[in-house]
Amino acid sequence: MKRILTPILFFTFILAAELEIGASMPGMDYKLEDISGETITLTDAKGNKGTLVIFSCNTCPWVIRWEDRYVSIADTYTSKGIGVIAVNSNAARFNGDDSMEEMIRHADKNNYNFPYAQDPGSKLATEFGATKTPHIYLFDNNDMLVYRGAIDDNARNARSVDEPFLANAIDQLLSDSPIEKPISKAIGCSIKFP
Amino acid sequence: MKKLLMFICVLTFSCGKVDLLPTTASEINQKIKSYKGNKVVLLNIWALWCVPCVEEFPMIVDLDKEIDELEVIFVSADFEDQFDEVRSFLDRKGVREVSYIKQEKDEAFITGIHSSWTGSLPFTILYAKESGKIVDLWEGKESELRFRAAINIALSS
Repeated sequence: MKRILTPILFFTFILAAELEIGASMPGMDYKLEDISGETITLTDAKGNKGTLVIFSCNTCPWVIRWEDRYVSIADTYTSKGIGVIAVNSNAARFNGDDSMEEMIRHADKNNYNFPYAQDPGSKLATEFGATKTPHIYLFDNNDMLVYRGAIDDNARNARSVDEPFLANAIDQLLSDSPIEKPISKAIGCSIKFP
Repeated sequence: MKKLLMFICVLTFSCGKVDLLPTTASEINQKIKSYKGNKVVLLNIWALWCVPCVEEFPMIVDLDKEIDELEVIFVSADFEDQFDEVRSFLDRKGVREVSYIKQEKDEAFITGIHSSWTGSLPFTILYAKESGKIVDLWEGKESELRFRAAINIALSS
């Protein structure tokens, strides 16, 4: 038995099952609580050319260093048909740093120009296999995943970015070109599941 | 000469300070390989701002002190401008000799450490003592029980 178990232990490392490229957008009709006071779904947030879902939160240092680019990307691409929504799935902190009050304050302070909604029970994050903040998912106009991962390769400074992964992916999506780099990775804060 | 240096260390109380080295995934992998056949390696990637990382950190330090055949390698994923804060934290938590801080772009570092790692912190990998192969890995904070179970498997693999 030990001989059978050993190779299993060596070779089966299954971490969070992230949504695969080409997969359909999950949880499209989950009701999320937006900072506007209304409920919102991913269906509501969709754009006619594609949809950008950003798993985010209020306090993660990586979010804080990257979120200026949430705003500039929404500013650039919303008018081109890309729907943008930030989702806070830190359900374990909805009574603390990620409360609705704090989210409203955070969005106001950082000039968020897109919906920013709580994900009750972290259900959406679970469906997406999202593990951290920020964690980015871009879907095409058929709600199929075309890109996931990071915004770019430099959290610290937008002016020192070498590879704007997300902007490149959106540009390629809008021009009906293949997504050259559909997956990227970056360090982030773990999502605080309930 | 070594004894003299140690004596100077004791006199100045500075020998307890950790040497914090900037590093890459490739360098860490080389370091891990150097323990094959000799020690179990526990690689833990953490950051100051990561609450679960900081919460489990003292438990890992204690395991390192308790188990002779265990080598713990901590790699901080903090930003370079937090170098002094990281070193101060390591000193306070009783980490001695050498520790590491990531000095490589995220994607190269994450992929170089393990292809399954999404980038979420903390991230822990256990390498077997004899074979040097990975026996367990996980993202997020875990219990001491989980750490000990993985170490025990790694000790006998």
